[in-house]
Amino acid sequence: MCILKLQHVEKIYGEKENQVKALRDISLQVEEGEFTAIVGTSGSGKSTLLNLIGGLDNPTKGKIFIKNREIGALSRKELTIFRRRNIGFVFQNYSLMPVLNVYDNVALPATFDRGKHLNRRYMEELLRELGIWEKRKKYPHELSGGQQQRAAIARALVNKPQILLCDEPTGNLDSATTVDVVGLLKTSCRRYKQTILMVTHNEAIAQTCDRVIHIEDGRIVTGKGRFPGKGGDGVC
Amino acid sequence: MLKLAWSYMRYYKSQTLAIFASILLTASLLSGISSLIFSSQKNDLANSKAIYGNWHYYVAADEEKIRELQSGGQGGGYRLKQWGKLEIRDVAREEFLIYFIHTDEAYRQMAHRELIEGAFPDKENEIAADRFVLQNLGFSGNLGDTIRIGERDYVVTGVLKSKWAASADEMEVFVSDAFAGRGSQTFLYLRFDEDEKLYRQMDAFLKTYQFPFEAVTGNDEVIRYLGGEAPDSIYDIVKFGLTDEEGNLTYIVLKLQSDYNLAYHGMILLLCLFSIFVVYSVFHISAAKRVSEYGMLQTLGISGRQLGWTLVLELWMLFLIGYPLGCFLGNGILSMVYRKFNGVFGGKGIEATEKGLSVAEQTLAEGTAAAQFYLSWGAMLFGFVFLLFALALAAFLVIRALGKQPLKKTLSGDISFSRTRRIYARRPVNMAGVVVRKFMFANKWKAAGILLSLSIGGCIFLCTMYMTENLKVHAELSLKSDDGLGSEYRISLKSRSLKDTIPEGTADAVKNMPETSGVYATRYTIGELSHIEDEDNNCGTYFQDMNKAPEFERFGGICIPQADGAYRIKYDVYGYEEELLEQLGDFVLEGRIDPAKIRDGNQIVAVANRDGQGNYYFYGKKPGDTVVLRVPRMEGYTEDVLKFQNSDEYYVEQEFEIAAIVSRSLAREEGFLNTGVWSTIQMPCVIMTNSQMEENFGITGYGFINVSPAQNAEAEKVSSQLLQAIHDVPKAVLTDYSAAIRTQKNYLGQQQLFFSSIAAILFVISLFHIVNSMSHTIFARRREYGIIRAMGITDAGFYKMILQTGILYGALTDAVIFLVYTRILRRMMDYYMAHVLQFLHVQAGVPNQVFFGIMVLNMAAAVGAVMFPAWRLVKRNIISEITLL
Repeated sequence: MCILKLQHVEKIYGEKENQVKALRDISLQVEEGEFTAIVGTSGSGKSTLLNLIGGLDNPTKGKIFIKNREIGALSRKELTIFRRRNIGFVFQNYSLMPVLNVYDNVALPATFDRGKHLNRRYMEELLRELGIWEKRKKYPHELSGGQQQRAAIARALVNKPQILLCDEPTGNLDSATTVDVVGLLKTSCRRYKQTILMVTHNEAIAQTCDRVIHIEDGRIVTGKGRFPGKGGDGVC
Repeated sequence: MLKLAWSYMRYYKSQTLAIFASILLTASLLSGISSLIFSSQKNDLANSKAIYGNWHYYVAADEEKIRELQSGGQGGGYRLKQWGKLEIRDVAREEFLIYFIHTDEAYRQMAHRELIEGAFPDKENEIAADRFVLQNLGFSGNLGDTIRIGERDYVVTGVLKSKWAASADEMEVFVSDAFAGRGSQTFLYLRFDEDEKLYRQMDAFLKTYQFPFEAVTGNDEVIRYLGGEAPDSIYDIVKFGLTDEEGNLTYIVLKLQSDYNLAYHGMILLLCLFSIFVVYSVFHISAAKRVSEYGMLQTLGISGRQLGWTLVLELWMLFLIGYPLGCFLGNGILSMVYRKFNGVFGGKGIEATEKGLSVAEQTLAEGTAAAQFYLSWGAMLFGFVFLLFALALAAFLVIRALGKQPLKKTLSGDISFSRTRRIYARRPVNMAGVVVRKFMFANKWKAAGILLSLSIGGCIFLCTMYMTENLKVHAELSLKSDDGLGSEYRISLKSRSLKDTIPEGTADAVKNMPETSGVYATRYTIGELSHIEDEDNNCGTYFQDMNKAPEFERFGGICIPQADGAYRIKYDVYGYEEELLEQLGDFVLEGRIDPAKIRDGNQIVAVANRDGQGNYYFYGKKPGDTVVLRVPRMEGYTEDVLKFQNSDEYYVEQEFEIAAIVSRSLAREEGFLNTGVWSTIQMPCVIMTNSQMEENFGITGYGFINVSPAQNAEAEKVSSQLLQAIHDVPKAVLTDYSAAIRTQKNYLGQQQLFFSSIAAILFVISLFHIVNSMSHTIFARRREYGIIRAMGITDAGFYKMILQTGILYGALTDAVIFLVYTRILRRMMDYYMAHVLQFLHVQAGVPNQVFFGIMVLNMAAAVGAVMFPAWRLVKRNIISEITLL
């Protein structure tokens, strides 16, 4: 079942002579439960693509459908609510709140949606699963990079989103931790039937995913993926 | 570095503008207020010179010294600008002392005793004097007429300008050089160069001509502005104040005021500190916004010193433009309004200073001439140098603070928050609220510093308003009380005899006039309180010299020790109309005023003494205690009875219960005991009802009558009717204070408006600071807010969260203002107003509307200041916010 669909998406930054075309005519679709890697060189447009899918930015042209809803047609408020219920984000720099401990960091997005009524049993399960339950009272700067990223993943998963968008989640980690984190993402993908889109530079990690999308100069480059994806590149 | 500084200034335009605005505003305030105080003191000095004479010291000298001076000219260490000679040729003792003086032109010029009519005496039997003296001597008004003084007749040849600070007991008649009296005593009046400290010049002068130090008398009201006396060292003053039994804080403040002009220099210092606080706070915020860039520059190899200089140059460039502009702006605006606020400056309004004249006399003496505006170059220069160095220090402090943390931290921002191990989300909780509180109190010291800095403006505003309100009450009470402006007209007697009174019939006639409304006729006699215990031994020490003063010789001294160790003290005794007595309620320190009860119980109201530090006392007595009062009988009255040394049959002695103790009287006799400096610092009196005066002492006539005109009564008609009424009363005169009252009320209004405006300006500067600080607190957390937005908070939720921040800051700032103002500042102000400024009653508070208005305005400013940056943040792209380092 197609959970994500992009139709002729374009993203242009700047105006007139300063225009930069970050994405050009991107069309793709992703099946539910798929673990997709997006690879490309720096400045190729992969993070921009992820941000557009996550509704953190708006495309200049084209349409993006998530669960058959066009996110461009949603109001600001609807989009925010839709995003927090359906999409989880993991960033390269973890983006944890420095003034909150691990537990509160993870709980924060859940409280936006459910107010004061948190599923604390699920949170504990999640933190144990990610191996940071013992660190729940620690503040981000007291944790290692890998632990911070686990906390960020936990935070992304706390609302049980159907799509997880990871922007170079292993970019700041050593190789052993990288393997750990990717393993965790895969486990999560299976356990919660989540669809994961992961931007990475690491070709080796990309190759372990169900599907690899190559982007160069804002376009999807076909034929580079060793393992053809379920949804197929470029065509919906 | 200069280029880097310039680039920063151009790139961060809004921050540069904020720093520039803070420098401009504070420089305006600093220079403007300094110039105001300076102008006020200069005008005060000019007024004092006009009233007390344009000379600094006088010294007794013989002919030899005068010749020496005439031939010697200028000596080392002093520059004599002018000197004049006054020679007392004879003294006649009538009801008062009459001095026959021969003066030179220079003296008359310095003492403002110019001739206004006729000519100076030329022959031995010719005299000239001012109108007051001539009237008292029975002058008909026609030049060439003769008047009798002592055993001789003198021809009046001229009328001189009156002396404002005239003593009622000493009168001067000017005689020619041909006048040969019984002796001669010569005094040299000296005026030195005012650009140098006067006491140093006087010391050098005394050394040059070998005058003894004791022979010198200063023109205190003039030289106190010009360093007329050698100051004690600040260390000695503080040491004495803190360690000596008689010393205290008030002593330190008053002594620093008299020796070092604390009001002026202290205000300049306070304004400098306020300026550096505001500028530093704005600059610190600006620097904090670029902290990661500075870290970046450090990684590129720039040294801390170079970075410091970059900041210093940036600040100095702004300062060099902003400070002169600010001075120009501040002085420019204030010089324009200065003339419109004539009464605020030049010492023209009500003050609690100890001057020789009452407010009424002072107002009449000064007239309504516009006060001049002077630039305080000294303060501006001091402010310039102080701020120049303080800004450099501020820049280096910022760099030092940056240097203390590792580069990585500098690059990644502040993590210096307190870390509790508490998990908030474990229980149902509003996490957005937790985040707000965490942001605010991440560092408790920083939070306290921010709240304190946010509350400073409000506190200053409230203190200024509190002072203004109390100044208003003090001024109103002063006008109402015995400063002479309680009523528009005053009928009094130019007499020094208790036998002279205004008959009851005249008082009734005045009361019955349709043109008059509040008519208060007061009975007067001089009395003596006996058996006064003096626990602090004030009487013994303080009055020892006072008893010997010539003006008190007539009364056999003021405070006389009795055989039993107690004292007998001379007191004015007044009989008030009951309505007037009731008005004393505003001045009650202890007890209660009920005129009927006072009359029926034959009680008295005592006016307390006030010491130099504003403390009131009445010899340890309280309402309910009794005093024994002796007053001269009118039968067989002679001048001698005033000495209170005759046998008992000449006096009525009676014991009275004290009903209340008050701080001031409402109407007072201007002769008798109220002479010279005594009239303004003590004014001791006891008050009862008019009927008691008659029943106890048999006094039926009145000493003076205060009259207010009826509504819509024509001023001219009122005064002509009053003159008509007193036409047949010997020695009765009418004084019209209506212009002086109008002037003082006008001054009061101006003072209120002016000080409220200054308070408002300070508050606006503080609001500017609040907005800047609050805006910074939001922008400083923009990355975190970006994360929260990325986590899915809606715009409304985000605004709600920021609104919570604003409300919390506003409420806490209000709480700090409330606590600091009510618990600390108000108490300090009460002490300052009661003991240093010596306000009559410190009873007025800041109006509730103003108080709550400030709280609401603070809250609104805090909320507005956070909502605007929040609105700007919402407009920004989330990604660009969270990828910020």
